[in-house]
Amino acid sequence: MTEPVWGPVHADIVDLLADHPEDVPAVVDHLTKLQDLLVRLPPLEQSCPLADFNRLYLTITSRVLEGLYDDYFADPVFLSRLDVEFAARYFDAMRLWTESSPTTPRAWSCLFKRMRGPDARPLPSAAAGVNAHINFDLPFALVTTFDHLESEPVDGTEQHRDYLKINDIFADKIPTLRRGYLERWQLLLDMLNGDIDDWYQGELVEYTRDVAWRNAQKIWRCRHDPQARDDERTRLDDNAAALGRLLLSPLGAFLQ
Amino acid sequence: MASDVDTAPLVGRADQLAVLRAALHDGTGPGQTAAVFVTGESGVGKTRLLTEAAARLRDAGAVVLTGSCLDIGDASPLHPVLQALRRFDADLTTAQARTSSAVRGLLRTFAEDSGGADSAGALLERVSRGLSLIAEGRPLVLVLDDLQWVDRTTRQLLLYLLAGLGDLQLSVLAAVRAESLQGAHPLRRVLTELRRLRSVRVLDLGPLDRAGTDLLAAEIVGAPLAPEAAEQVWQRSGGNPFVVEELARDLRDGRDGLSDTLREIFLSRVDALPRHAHAAVHAVAAGVEPVEHWLLAEVLGLPEAELIEALREAVAHRLLVGADDGYRLRHRLVAEVLAHELLPAERAGLHRRYAEALTRVPAELHQARLAHHWRLAGEPGRALPAAMAAAREAERLHGFAEAHRHWTAALQLAATPVTGPVDAPPEVDRAVLLGRAAEAAHKSGEHARALSLLAELTGGEPLDPSCAVRIQRARYLAAAGRSAPAEAEYRSVLEAAECTARERANAAARLAELLLHLGRYADAGQRAREALELAASVDGSTTEVVLASSALGFSEAFLEDPDAGLAVVRRALETAERSGGPEDVACAYLHLAELLTGPLNILEEGVVVARRGAERVAELGLGRTYETRLLAIATNGLFRVGQWAEAEKVVAAALRHRPSGADAVELLLARCRLSVGYGDVEASDRDLEAVATMLAGGGAPRHVLPMLILRAGLAMWQGRHDVARQAVQRGLTESRSDDVVLLGTLAWHGLRAEAEAHASRTVAVDETAVRRLRDAVDRVAAKSATAAGPVRVNANGFLALCTAELSRLDGRGDPDAWARSAAEWDNRNHPYPAAYSRLRQAEALLARRSRSSTATALLRQAHEMASSLGAVPLTSEIRTLAGRARVELTGRAQPGAGRVPAARAGGSRASGPARGRTAVAAETAATPPGADELALLTAREREVLAAVAEGLTNKEIGQRLFISERTIGVHVSHIFDKLQVRTRVQASAIHLRNRGE
Repeated sequence: MTEPVWGPVHADIVDLLADHPEDVPAVVDHLTKLQDLLVRLPPLEQSCPLADFNRLYLTITSRVLEGLYDDYFADPVFLSRLDVEFAARYFDAMRLWTESSPTTPRAWSCLFKRMRGPDARPLPSAAAGVNAHINFDLPFALVTTFDHLESEPVDGTEQHRDYLKINDIFADKIPTLRRGYLERWQLLLDMLNGDIDDWYQGELVEYTRDVAWRNAQKIWRCRHDPQARDDERTRLDDNAAALGRLLLSPLGAFLQ
Repeated sequence: MASDVDTAPLVGRADQLAVLRAALHDGTGPGQTAAVFVTGESGVGKTRLLTEAAARLRDAGAVVLTGSCLDIGDASPLHPVLQALRRFDADLTTAQARTSSAVRGLLRTFAEDSGGADSAGALLERVSRGLSLIAEGRPLVLVLDDLQWVDRTTRQLLLYLLAGLGDLQLSVLAAVRAESLQGAHPLRRVLTELRRLRSVRVLDLGPLDRAGTDLLAAEIVGAPLAPEAAEQVWQRSGGNPFVVEELARDLRDGRDGLSDTLREIFLSRVDALPRHAHAAVHAVAAGVEPVEHWLLAEVLGLPEAELIEALREAVAHRLLVGADDGYRLRHRLVAEVLAHELLPAERAGLHRRYAEALTRVPAELHQARLAHHWRLAGEPGRALPAAMAAAREAERLHGFAEAHRHWTAALQLAATPVTGPVDAPPEVDRAVLLGRAAEAAHKSGEHARALSLLAELTGGEPLDPSCAVRIQRARYLAAAGRSAPAEAEYRSVLEAAECTARERANAAARLAELLLHLGRYADAGQRAREALELAASVDGSTTEVVLASSALGFSEAFLEDPDAGLAVVRRALETAERSGGPEDVACAYLHLAELLTGPLNILEEGVVVARRGAERVAELGLGRTYETRLLAIATNGLFRVGQWAEAEKVVAAALRHRPSGADAVELLLARCRLSVGYGDVEASDRDLEAVATMLAGGGAPRHVLPMLILRAGLAMWQGRHDVARQAVQRGLTESRSDDVVLLGTLAWHGLRAEAEAHASRTVAVDETAVRRLRDAVDRVAAKSATAAGPVRVNANGFLALCTAELSRLDGRGDPDAWARSAAEWDNRNHPYPAAYSRLRQAEALLARRSRSSTATALLRQAHEMASSLGAVPLTSEIRTLAGRARVELTGRAQPGAGRVPAARAGGSRASGPARGRTAVAAETAATPPGADELALLTAREREVLAAVAEGLTNKEIGQRLFISERTIGVHVSHIFDKLQVRTRVQASAIHLRNRGE
């Protein structure tokens, strides 16, 4: 018998994924429990690539939750639904991977494959997760949210402004996270150019989040056409997977 | 040779079948609904499982209707339901003439339903009535395959029926392809929401395990496989039953190893077919399934004998399946394999032959199919009229999303350049197409799309668009939430010399309405006055008068000149009655009732107006929409003034109209509010589930918060802190801070949960939650200080409750804070929270061991108020406290305490006035303190008891009191407990003894 996908914590993860969180507090709770499980994955444990991404994602979602409690967003209904919908795609990808489904988005499977691998590095791993989540999952999460709220993705609306506020949260959180895990690389980077990875991380999020918004608008227009919608999904998956593989390759590490 | 087609056994799904049966058959009773959605990847056996389960449910006595959704987009509203009905009808025997005529009657509804004044909700209602005629009291099962392609109207119908609004014992069994739910599929969100409901299961169908795979392969081969062969089948198939079956068959027939993938399996099969059979398979793949026999004959142009031979071959090679209504590919996977096997010219030729054949003979889905085939045949000129006809057909069935799709297709077709020897598109006015497409987009909620279509309409012209188009654009902008440009557009109409007075009046009235929603009351009032002036000079502008008057009335009410506002709205009603259409009268009533029960808080009169309005609009034939809304207003008003029995009656009457959409949600919430107050857990749960089902379809965030508040309120009566906390937590993260009343209500529920945790000494207080709730209260206080008068007053009641609950968290509770809260609610004429506040005030006093006479008086008042409402849980809390404090509750209440709510005064039941009066007499006569054996009973229970004494069954009582039979059962058992009797006869005896003279 081959080892289950999630090794010794397989049963726990399957149980956890059976639940579908319905609000942002539940998403945070879910990510927290997931974090506790992922860091127990051998052989890397604390530095499991997925745990690296999950940690970053948890930090950011917790901040979003605080924002919701603190009246930080103009349209909390929209932002809550988006956050829940967004997270659901990550949990879905994990669920599909758990079932060894051939339909696991490739954008995600390139990271999942590395999960147990020996050469994973925290920053590229987290970045690859951010890439899959923002470049692939986010446009669809946006479309579903707008569709559910009977609203539309229009530039310059309250919802668009709330969406952009998340960039500030990312920008706020990423440098500290980076410092948290990157002593060795940091040293090298500082010698080259202290700004590169700031630029790199900051730009990645801001740039891809903007692309995600525009992709959502694109999908929105063809969302009733199953064929066009599927084509769009394949296109985004291919692009995100290509970028993800690049980030995870030795080249990606070198770029940093 | 075709002997083994479709006879492969169902392996490894016994558990799933048991789940399906339990969920869809055993678990449902009369009037209940259930649903199972089976999700899984292609070939995992969803259709097979559906077929098997449907057969078993049919054997168990259910009426089973089976349809499939089509992958040609939102082809036609309600197509799968229509298909299911036709199939069902075809299978009926002559002995079932009555059922058959019911089915045909319903099918005629689809054919004849005329759009226009009638609403989409009316169609849903008619469909559900038709279904209930067909079911004739038997359980009804709706089986829908390929739900990933479901159209929007069918989706709405499903939610409507599952919410119990159709009043049917209905189960839905549907299959959804898992792959399709990735990405942005509209069903994805719906299923996530439904997943949480007790009545809904989402069954994720996985591949077979190794043992199941071996078993299935062995069944097909006829003997267990050799270990290497079995291993190979397992490795290649991954347990997908469809693939296992095909591999095993190849193995049995000695074609082992020829093909590795499904694609190769099918290609080799198609290649092996004789010429005609080959053509038949491709023809079916290009058609819209099921492809009727006559149609296939036309398309293939074969003599009957050869055609039949060809089809037999294709079936024998397991590529096609045939049924009474036509042919299908055995699996959609085959279509995917075949998709790239034809040359473009071959494919276009097939579509042309389809289109030509369909042109000659009208068939099911006629126009949508014609448009589809002509388009793919490369004949835009001939596709265009069909697309337009399909759009109009969809509009007739209120399927605006589908109509929009067809109009868009028509626009594309009209613009397609024509090359070669095909007909050019007929001359169609592009402006008309754009206008129709825009309106359909707007009606299906695609406001941005509607705007861009309008922009196309006017974009080419250097001149300003017409006034009518500008008003249209402003309406779309407002609907899309883009208030600033909408305002500018309305202003431009007002300033334009070329616009008529009528158009300007219209623009001013709509602008006033928009400004009102934005909270700019002064501006709204000014525009409304302008509209009224303009309208005064134009005959027949009653609609504008009503709209503008309402805006003016509300703006005055918010600016604290309520009398002036009220006068304006009253005048509008007179104008409407004198010179307006039915819709104007209905709107005028609606506005007046909303004004009275809303900002003015003149509840009694508001209720009277709403009820009188409801009668009036029913006379005018607008029962479904406006009567329902007016009755919802009356219900909420009656609830607040404490006339719960009456409110329950009104809400039941309103629900008999079988409303749908937002109207239905409002009423279900109103009824649930009553049930929570009564402490009827089961009824509350049922309504909360129904609301959640309706909300799964999306929209209306404004309904989510009331639902969460009720969930929290119910949970607190059940002592379920975790549930209450979760609901409040979710509410806090999903509410806008400017919605002070809802946020205040939510915060109160949260604080109450924490305060009660504190008091219980067994549940820990969640300090983080308390901190957040304090923040929320501060925000409500800050925002409401600057809000308009009526909003502020309303928020103050909840703020008083919050402050008082906080005092419980800080210590034993501050009696003064509770006294202030009670006074707030007394002023607002809301006995329910006022009684609650008195209970807590008494509790705080007693905890300080001081002023026990005041506490006693308060408890008695609270008890009097709560028990005359019928508020069971609140009454029992009061009793518990009184018991602990040894306060005699039945002593004479303080004069003036508890403004003796009129719950019973107007409480004579509509059915059987004589009986109603008896019940009222029984209650009012039941006074002698201490001696009254019925004292423990709530008003509700007394009514039930009176009916029991008349010898009515639970079912009859339920019908008389408009509540479910089961709820009556609960009441009866409470009555037995309280009276300490075991039979209805004993209970009746006590009732008669205490009835008074």
